Amino acid sequence: MYQSAHFSEYHAIQGVWDEMYNENHHVREHYQRVIAYLSKESADNLNKKEELARRLFMTQGITFTVYNSGEGIEKIFPFDIIPRIITGEEWKLVENGIKQRLTALNLFLRDVYHNQFIIKDGIIPIDVIYSCPHFLREMYQLDVPHDIYVHIAGIDLIRDEKGDFFVLEDNLRTPSGVSYMLENREITKRLFPDLLPQCNVRSVTDYPNILYKNLMALSPRQISNPTVVLLSPGIYNSAYFEHTTLARLMGVELVEGRDLVVSNHKVYMKTTTGLQQVDVIYRRVDDEFLDPLVFNPASVLGVAGIMSAYRKGNVAIVNAIGNGVADDKAIYSYVPEMIRYYLNEEPLLKNVPTYQLRNADEREYTFANINSMVVKKTNESGGYGMLMGHAASEQETEDYKKEILKDPRNFIAQPTIALSAAPCYLQGSLQPRRIDLRPYALCGPDGIEIVPGGLTRVALKEGSLVVNSSQGGGSKDTWVLD
Amino acid sequence: MLSRVAASFYWLSRYIERSDGILRMLKINYASSQDAVREFTWKPVIRIYSVADAELMSKLDNDSRAVLAYMVTDRINPNSILNMITLARENARSVQEHITRDLWQCLNEYYHCVKDPDVTERLLHDDPISVLDNLNKQIMLYYGTAEVSMERGQGRSFMNIGKFLERSIQAIDLLDIKFGSVNNNPDLLTDTTYWKHLLQSIGGYELYLKTYRDGIEAESVMELVMLNTDFPRSVIYSVNNIGRYYERLKKESNLSNYRDIAFQMGKLQSSIQYSSTQSIGQMGLHQFLTQIKKDLYGIGNLLNEHYFANS
Repeated sequence: MYQSAHFSEYHAIQGVWDEMYNENHHVREHYQRVIAYLSKESADNLNKKEELARRLFMTQGITFTVYNSGEGIEKIFPFDIIPRIITGEEWKLVENGIKQRLTALNLFLRDVYHNQFIIKDGIIPIDVIYSCPHFLREMYQLDVPHDIYVHIAGIDLIRDEKGDFFVLEDNLRTPSGVSYMLENREITKRLFPDLLPQCNVRSVTDYPNILYKNLMALSPRQISNPTVVLLSPGIYNSAYFEHTTLARLMGVELVEGRDLVVSNHKVYMKTTTGLQQVDVIYRRVDDEFLDPLVFNPASVLGVAGIMSAYRKGNVAIVNAIGNGVADDKAIYSYVPEMIRYYLNEEPLLKNVPTYQLRNADEREYTFANINSMVVKKTNESGGYGMLMGHAASEQETEDYKKEILKDPRNFIAQPTIALSAAPCYLQGSLQPRRIDLRPYALCGPDGIEIVPGGLTRVALKEGSLVVNSSQGGGSKDTWVLD
Repeated sequence: MLSRVAASFYWLSRYIERSDGILRMLKINYASSQDAVREFTWKPVIRIYSVADAELMSKLDNDSRAVLAYMVTDRINPNSILNMITLARENARSVQEHITRDLWQCLNEYYHCVKDPDVTERLLHDDPISVLDNLNKQIMLYYGTAEVSMERGQGRSFMNIGKFLERSIQAIDLLDIKFGSVNNNPDLLTDTTYWKHLLQSIGGYELYLKTYRDGIEAESVMELVMLNTDFPRSVIYSVNNIGRYYERLKKESNLSNYRDIAFQMGKLQSSIQYSSTQSIGQMGLHQFLTQIKKDLYGIGNLLNEHYFANS
């Protein structure tokens, strides 16, 4: 065994899948090279590397800004230097599972906004769909290019105590974080020279190129050089860094709502030479703010009339509008059924068992077992509005129950899944922390492509199960071995 | 290029250039305040560069340290170096993918440099000149980085137009205020230290000595600052450069818009070019400066309308 001081102290958490150690407390084969490399480094050296990583993030401006009393405070998304490693075999399952799931979800969106066979055949109850606030009648009977609704998906995966992958949630609107996947890899190249090629780690750098190719292919005008833009809410958005990074890597213009104008059902951007027609918009603005004439009238982030241009087919919008109906947490539990219904296949990736609190018996069951449950709001994300049954006080639980009873449709419950743990370098030693995985799938006219990797988020607080950055989470570089 | 991006380039530069002008001005004025305690007044500086009311003005007038803190790190004064660099940085942030990483990092560093709480402390209780020098160096670094790293495209043209527009307006304001004070106090006309400070504060003293061998005279000072084509902070040099960088926009411009501004540019350039100290004297310096300033603002407005889509 490797007997460097900072490794001997590592104790895997009982009853949790450990990414590095197997049940006999041996390093799994795919971690061995990295551990051998790391154990040659002194703790001092590793501390230096950690410091270097922090400095690289800061000077390159890989930060998000928190605005406080008129003054911007720049923060970095915490980064753990030890990579998370996935074997080629595990990746194969993840890749196929996500492709299958995304295919079904795209078919579902096409169906639910057109003929609604899935409702008529009684697979999904009509009220679940119609009560979803993100089900937009504006999208009804609207044809989108190539019938693709979800061009970019971030599907969150976790592993249970046996190491099986589960889908925790689907993000089909404007999934973020991909710039961290790219930047984390760049940082690892600086931190551990030569280690990546030694370990046969597959590259993720193709992501912007694939995305750009897909965006170009969506252009409604058949011209050689369509105008693709990335629509950002602007510099005050916390993901602004990601927007500039993607725009730069793809070589497309980064625009804000005020740069665009709609005339005669076509979208133009205001340039120094006059108006220039825009063909494809990769938007990072939510549906609700996209068009003040159709959605939120107070929005200044969007473009008045853009929906009419979309309806006429004069501009492609990525992701499509109205995708929220497919990643609603109440719909989530029907996805395995969707896969069987549309594809006639068994789902490759499992769902976490989910209780619909609008059903009285499932609600009662949840209330009776609330200490081993996680209750979530169906249309919130980012780790907000959640109740972690095992950690909440009695008072919190009671208050939450009252809120549930006010509108049960808005809540689901899932048994607490013990997320898998991976080693993190914290305060000079290796410690296990809980992680999840968000691979980024890109769907274009040629099919679905997933760059081998993704964003591994990690709950840096000891014992915590919440990996969201707003709740003390960080990230790791994610390696997929060849 | 997006109109918003062009506007951000333009304003980024204007803010940087203005903060450069202020820093130079502060340094020389502080130095001269050490020379002549009794007659020294900060009023012209405060009047050019800030919106202080009469009350604040009289409070600041005799306290050099307070003026420096007010002009450099005050959060309320919209023209303080701190507020200007913040605005410059916001503009740069919104065009981050159009400027080089080097330039962005340079600006970032300048920003963090001004934000350091130590700066106020040292302005109030230490040697302020070394603080001002240090900040000024950041700007020179910025200009150097911009020069060697920025692509020679539209973005840089808009940056330079902003820079020289701001510079010419500053030179005009300075002349106007300094010569205006002479009307109230005719003794100043022959006060060589008065004119020496003016020259120093826009970095023209050495060139003046080389150009005019027979001592410092108000008329020659005006000629240097207004009409010397070799002096990089003169009005004519700045205006010629606005014209020069504007011309580069031609091939990427809408032709009728281009002509509209080119016409105004040409008119302005020739009205300065074909002036002499005599003709300016006949017209009255204040009238002359007011007209030129109006024309410069007019060009700013036309840029706004034709290129920045803010009509």
